[in-house]
Amino acid sequence: MATILKTDKVCKYFDGVKAVDKVSIEVEEGIILGIIGPNGAGKTTLFNVLTGMLAETEGKVIYKNKDITKLSPQDITNIGMSRTFQNIKLFDHLSAHENVKIGFHTKTKTGFIDAIFKTKTYNNDEQKVNEKGIKLLKRVGLAEKQEILGQNLSYGDKRRLEIARALAVEPDLLLVDEPTAGMNAKETRTIVELLDKLNDEGITVIIIEHDMGVIMNLCDEIVVLNDGNVISRGDPNYVQNDPAVREAYLGKGAS
Amino acid sequence: MFSNSKISNIIGNLKGIILENKLKIYLIILILALIFPFITNNQYYIYIGVLTLMYMILASSLNIIVGYTYQYLIGFAGFFAIGAYTTAIITTSFEVNFIFVFLISGIIASIFALLIGIPTSRLGGIFFAFATLGFGEIIRLIIINWDTLTRGTFGIPGIPRPKLFNFIINTNTNFYFFALLILLVQLFISYRVINSRVGRAWLSLKENSEAAKAMGIKIAKYRVLNLMYGTFWAGIGGAFYAYFTQYVSPDTFVLDEGFRIFAMVLVGGMGTLIGPIAGSGLLTILPELVREFARYQLIIYGVAILLIIHYRPQGLFGAKELAQAKVKDEK
Amino acid sequence: MFWIRQIINGITQGSIYALMAIGYSLIFGKLLLVTFAFGEMVVFGVFVSYYLYAIVGLNLFLAIIIALPISWGLGMLVDKICYEKFRDEPRFLMLITTIGFGIFLKSFTQLIFGTGYRSYPNFIEGKIIVGGVRITYIQIFIILTTLLLLYGLNLFFKKTKLGVGIIALSNDLDAAKLVGINVNKSIKFGHSLGVVLGVFGGMMMVSYYNAIGASMGPILGLKAFTVVVFGGITSLPGAIIGGFTLGILENLSVATFGSGYKDIVAFVILILILVLRPSGLLGKKIDLF
Repeated sequence: MATILKTDKVCKYFDGVKAVDKVSIEVEEGIILGIIGPNGAGKTTLFNVLTGMLAETEGKVIYKNKDITKLSPQDITNIGMSRTFQNIKLFDHLSAHENVKIGFHTKTKTGFIDAIFKTKTYNNDEQKVNEKGIKLLKRVGLAEKQEILGQNLSYGDKRRLEIARALAVEPDLLLVDEPTAGMNAKETRTIVELLDKLNDEGITVIIIEHDMGVIMNLCDEIVVLNDGNVISRGDPNYVQNDPAVREAYLGKGAS
Repeated sequence: MFSNSKISNIIGNLKGIILENKLKIYLIILILALIFPFITNNQYYIYIGVLTLMYMILASSLNIIVGYTYQYLIGFAGFFAIGAYTTAIITTSFEVNFIFVFLISGIIASIFALLIGIPTSRLGGIFFAFATLGFGEIIRLIIINWDTLTRGTFGIPGIPRPKLFNFIINTNTNFYFFALLILLVQLFISYRVINSRVGRAWLSLKENSEAAKAMGIKIAKYRVLNLMYGTFWAGIGGAFYAYFTQYVSPDTFVLDEGFRIFAMVLVGGMGTLIGPIAGSGLLTILPELVREFARYQLIIYGVAILLIIHYRPQGLFGAKELAQAKVKDEK
Repeated sequence: MFWIRQIINGITQGSIYALMAIGYSLIFGKLLLVTFAFGEMVVFGVFVSYYLYAIVGLNLFLAIIIALPISWGLGMLVDKICYEKFRDEPRFLMLITTIGFGIFLKSFTQLIFGTGYRSYPNFIEGKIIVGGVRITYIQIFIILTTLLLLYGLNLFFKKTKLGVGIIALSNDLDAAKLVGINVNKSIKFGHSLGVVLGVFGGMMMVSYYNAIGASMGPILGLKAFTVVVFGGITSLPGAIIGGFTLGILENLSVATFGSGYKDIVAFVILILILVLRPSGLLGKKIDLF
């Protein structure tokens, strides 16, 4: 299988604090990769670096054989990488449907002239965002709530909406940051099923998650971060039994 | 003491009625606006009507910038001035059809917006506010000092009346309908832009710029586009002002003029098309009704802004946000 | 000789800007209170001293000494109206409240004190000639006072509980709360202190130029802001360097191009910084909504 994403000794330092330190990982196309690690291990920082939200201190990120280290978040989104946020970032005062519509930005073309004169481009785009938007909302189970404002959705629905919006970008690689945080068992299961199904459809997924049940269930491969370093990687079975991982989670002497 | 929630409730209920009959009410207002010049013979009232419509154009223009992308444009009077002076300079030197003069005035205001927009697009908020405050003042200083072009503090008199074929737009009533036409065209175009991919991009960067970035939206580009679009209408408003008063001078385009329009947008409700219309209507007509008001006008505007932000941040007629405030109350 | 005199004028003017900018930097850089009404507050405070001196007929120094606590009170009032309710809200709300308050205060000042320019007396008359260059006493007074105040402020931020508290909460709000710093009180105190510094700078400025007008507020605000951004928003030494830079550049520009475009200098500097170095000379990058 081809490699879709590769990092080469990626580092991100904040005022001397090594949030991410020389992380080199390879992600094969079509898999679900889990990233786990204790709080403050640098997981979200790694996401921010991969998506261009933060500039790396050192190192390189290769996506689809292209060096994207210096690209802006917008350009990275444009070539098919999409994400959700750990601390949900919706367009709070817009409806669920409008949230998803905005997600189609890079997949539509309407400019001023099109909008003013309702040209063919405008009509096509609007049809597309309306229909596909509803479809995406249906996929994540929000079809009935399309008119509700982002801020008024329940916590679980917000996370679902974020995933729908991230899918509007039509990504090949989806980065989800703690998608089941704060959800009950039933809600969690629907998210796991959704991610699994998206993966079957060919989207590569990288997931940060604390819920080990989710991780073990879903992931083909797991990377364990601690203090910004990769301390273990492999299939779920291997990682689960790696003494280095136990030590990181439980402290020395526990294993 | 007023009870806050009571006032909220009353306005909320009123708004509920208005929302349900939105189209009907707009239609009634439009009809009233259309027959207004025929029900009064008092030239002064019609004159005030023209001014009110002009402020509606200007407030709608500023609202696009402040209300849809949260770019706090302080030197708005500068763009208004650019439009007015462009018209004054062109029409007193050449004979050009007024439609072109309007377009050129709008476009030149937009070009200035591009120039100021690029360096300020990366930093929002107070940087933008102060940079545009400086910009507005500098436009005024240039007008005062570059007297070979602008006649300095004397101003430019003798701007000819706009002429279409053999018809000359001349009387207050003529200008009244002319302003109404501009306003309706402006609202129509703005409505379409806002409800398209472009408008959604504007809203997204106002709502959450991080998420907008993640959606692939180029923030700086859309900020600058927004500023250019909004100031285009400021230029149009300026052109109208020049044609209507037939005289422009730097005294008109002081910071206070921008603050006045800013207050109209905020009091009416920014981020909705109808809010600034209501706000400018209210804040232009009220001082005329209560003559005592005129002297304290800006004081009252300042207090009105503070009251609005404290008690009704969505503005008096912020329909969309109001619907959502109601949901909040019920929780 | 001409240029040396211009530089001295610039340093004097720069001392004044530095003082105002320190006030502004304290409010905006340290306390992270977005303010658009700073210039208006300064002008109001200066007018109060003018009123006490010219209308009530007090001794000038007495007038100034009474005007400063009134300015302090104005600072408290602005905190109450514009900030207190919005401390945890999006910061653009503070921008709007201070814009609103600025509009109010400017018009209020105009209503009470008139729209025209008033002449304001010199603190000290007289001059000395050093090596053929004329230096007025007021210039010496301004430069010395500024240096003295800067020294005092430095002590305040290093040695007193309140001063240390303000610095602490600007570095890490949560940590400051944890160690028992009264955040609300510190912010109120710091804000009023910033206003008073600005007003004092304003008094020296109008005393130097002998004129005060109620409409000067917004441009003064722009200048204080520019100086602060130039030096780096969080950096007090940066504000001082910025103040001198603006003062000297303004004087040189007046000497070269005439006074018509004097107020453009601040704007040009602001745009240049925004393009070239948004974090300023000495500041660290901070996230400003």
